[in-house]
Amino acid sequence: MADTILKPEELQPAADLAKKALEQLDRVLLGRKELHRLVLIGILSKGHVLFEGLPGLGKTALVRTIGQILKLDFKRIQFTPDLMPSDILGSHILQQTDSGKREMVFQPGPVFTNILLADEINRASPKTQSALLETMQENSVTLMGTTRQLPLPFFVLASQNPIELEGTYPLPEAQLDRFLFRLLFDNASTDVLEQIISGRRRGELPAPTWQMDREQLETLFQTMNRIYLPRPVARYIARLVSATHPGSEEASEAVTRYVSYGASPRAAIAIAEASRAHALVSGRPTVGFEDVKTVAEPVLNHRLLLNYQARFDRMSPSRLVQELLGKLDETGLKLPGDVELQPA
Amino acid sequence: MSSHTGALKSFAKRLTLLLMVRGIVAWTTVWFFLWGVVVLAVRFSGLLKGKWLALGLLGCLPLALIAVIREWRRREEFSKIRAAYDELNRCGGVLMAEEVSDMSQWQAQLPAAAVPVLHWRNGRAFGLLGISAVFAAAILLLPDRLTILKAQHPLEIGKLVGELKAEVQTLKDEKILEEKKADETQKQLAQMQEKSSGLDPSKTWEALDHIKETDADLAKQAAEEALNKMTSLAAAQTLASAMQEASDDGMSNDTATRAAQDLASMLKSAKLEDGLLKGNIPKELLDQLNGLKKEDLQKLLGAIQFNKNSLNGTLGKLANLKLIDAKTLAQCQNAGTCTNCNALAAYLATCTNACNLASLCYGKGGPGGGGGTGPMTWQAKSSEENLKFNENALPPSAHLADAQFVGVSKSAPELSANDLAADHGALASAQASGGSANSQVILPQHRQAIQRFFKRDAQ
Repeated sequence: MADTILKPEELQPAADLAKKALEQLDRVLLGRKELHRLVLIGILSKGHVLFEGLPGLGKTALVRTIGQILKLDFKRIQFTPDLMPSDILGSHILQQTDSGKREMVFQPGPVFTNILLADEINRASPKTQSALLETMQENSVTLMGTTRQLPLPFFVLASQNPIELEGTYPLPEAQLDRFLFRLLFDNASTDVLEQIISGRRRGELPAPTWQMDREQLETLFQTMNRIYLPRPVARYIARLVSATHPGSEEASEAVTRYVSYGASPRAAIAIAEASRAHALVSGRPTVGFEDVKTVAEPVLNHRLLLNYQARFDRMSPSRLVQELLGKLDETGLKLPGDVELQPA
Repeated sequence: MSSHTGALKSFAKRLTLLLMVRGIVAWTTVWFFLWGVVVLAVRFSGLLKGKWLALGLLGCLPLALIAVIREWRRREEFSKIRAAYDELNRCGGVLMAEEVSDMSQWQAQLPAAAVPVLHWRNGRAFGLLGISAVFAAAILLLPDRLTILKAQHPLEIGKLVGELKAEVQTLKDEKILEEKKADETQKQLAQMQEKSSGLDPSKTWEALDHIKETDADLAKQAAEEALNKMTSLAAAQTLASAMQEASDDGMSNDTATRAAQDLASMLKSAKLEDGLLKGNIPKELLDQLNGLKKEDLQKLLGAIQFNKNSLNGTLGKLANLKLIDAKTLAQCQNAGTCTNCNALAAYLATCTNACNLASLCYGKGGPGGGGGTGPMTWQAKSSEENLKFNENALPPSAHLADAQFVGVSKSAPELSANDLAADHGALASAQASGGSANSQVILPQHRQAIQRFFKRDAQ
């Protein structure tokens, strides 16, 4: 490990690439710099992202823009209650060959792409939602005993609408756990809205002025792999995830009170990967505690299963995670209660 | 060494030092409280004096050493301290990575090195230390009289012992108390003053009361002896003075001889050589009492007066120490005082053969020259006519305060005609057949109510 830590000259090209990608995102989509940063972190972590927000906030536009910037194949599926798994994964159809024989030929579904936008994913039936389980975890599709690898990289960027919940099927925990982030779309500010309506005719998005080729994307992934996760930070991530479980040693009072089930080990892996990506985007070869704090909330906010008491008290998972981050000592220094460390 | 490396080492040192100081303060506080309690217990039990106990405060020094060693052993891993430094200086894990690799190339991109601030909210710790120190100091400086509970607790008998010592010394000086006994008593008093305990004062008080009582008894005996001697000396002085005066007026030889014999008898009965008197009558004067000349009588009178003065002095000392009361003192001083010495001298001068000096009550001679042998004349009894108050000697009364109510007699007690004195005394209700002296006074109060009560029981 010691000889693999990136040198400044090794890290700089990747950091520049990430910076350029972010600049393009910020240029095309106005007023969501933090969200863009997290989306890029999600992609660098090879994770799937769940967007949650009202209609018209730019979820689809964001995904489409990412596809354009990364020059990746992009497909969109509008999830509806009558959508079938075969509509996503593909199906075998009887086809006559040139030789006149008839055979079942696999017709790939829209999942065979690099970036899949699953729009309003919660409107599909659980059966159809579950069709994505294997693709999201294994990056493959198995049909009629044959497993087919999806093109890499493969990302699912799903969206769901928090209103109009009639006739929807909330995502099961197993499905939710496969998403690296759940990102919430807020309303655009007045200034941003003014910029949009004054600068963009009918809201049409400008085309990206720079695109990342596949080789550059691969460079980013390789650099990501060499971001060093120090042992104290890894320990902090482990303690943080453990603390989401009620009854654990470092669980806060709020966790004990409101959480039924805490985050899975997959969450710890997700935090570590996302932290690495955040360090890369920040231009650092090592992961710091601040990286973990930045990505912990979107990683954990859909992985905590809260009880009814939390509903009564209007406690959200995000607030719980923030409370946990505030209380948990990062370094594990067991200092007495009356001794505090402060920055100089 | 890069600036961050130096700052990190400085931070680690400061943190360890701070925790050591904190540990020392905590341990010292506990020690002061603990030692204060121990000192309190030891001082109250009277086992040790405060100055030796003060050395126990030095016990905080080895404890401080222990605290330092303990904090050194418990010090945090350097990696954790480095992680804390990394986080506080926003180094993004670069310094933490130094654990596995040389990160000097990245140091230039890090923020400026600064040792993080260690903030110890020490008000409570130092407050407790101060309280514990004041507690320990207060316990150590507490006066012995407030702490010693056991044998060493002195009983405040200094004044009484001083008075008794003065009494014993006076009794010794006046030869009322034997010298050996007086010395023993003095030693006994000194021991009591030193070893008397406030926990068990009754023994001391009993011993002191005994000595006081003994002194008072001896003083009383001495006063009685002095009274007798003063009476004899006064009588002898009166007779000698009368003899001196009568010798000028022609007292007969026979009368002079008889008077001299009486004088010798009086001086002998005074027992001047024994007991209280320090002085004495010169032996040549006692041997020549029959033929004493006027000058010798003068010497004799001087010697008697000296002895009287000596007795008066002794009695005065006893009175000053309140071993005898003023009445006894006055009685002794006025014993045998001659009120009509001239009449006795005249009697001696005129008396011839029929003088009966042995039965003379000198100084009580009646008016008209009757002398001491003159019969006392009594006039007719005084009339009680028109007197409003007639004195009657009443029998001693029973004290109601000491009485115990045991019942009510159904009728008035029957009195025997010859036993009026017992009628109201403690034996008022005693029955002849009972023979018990433990009788009770029966009060006539609520008699009827009690009678009704017993009647109801009977029904």
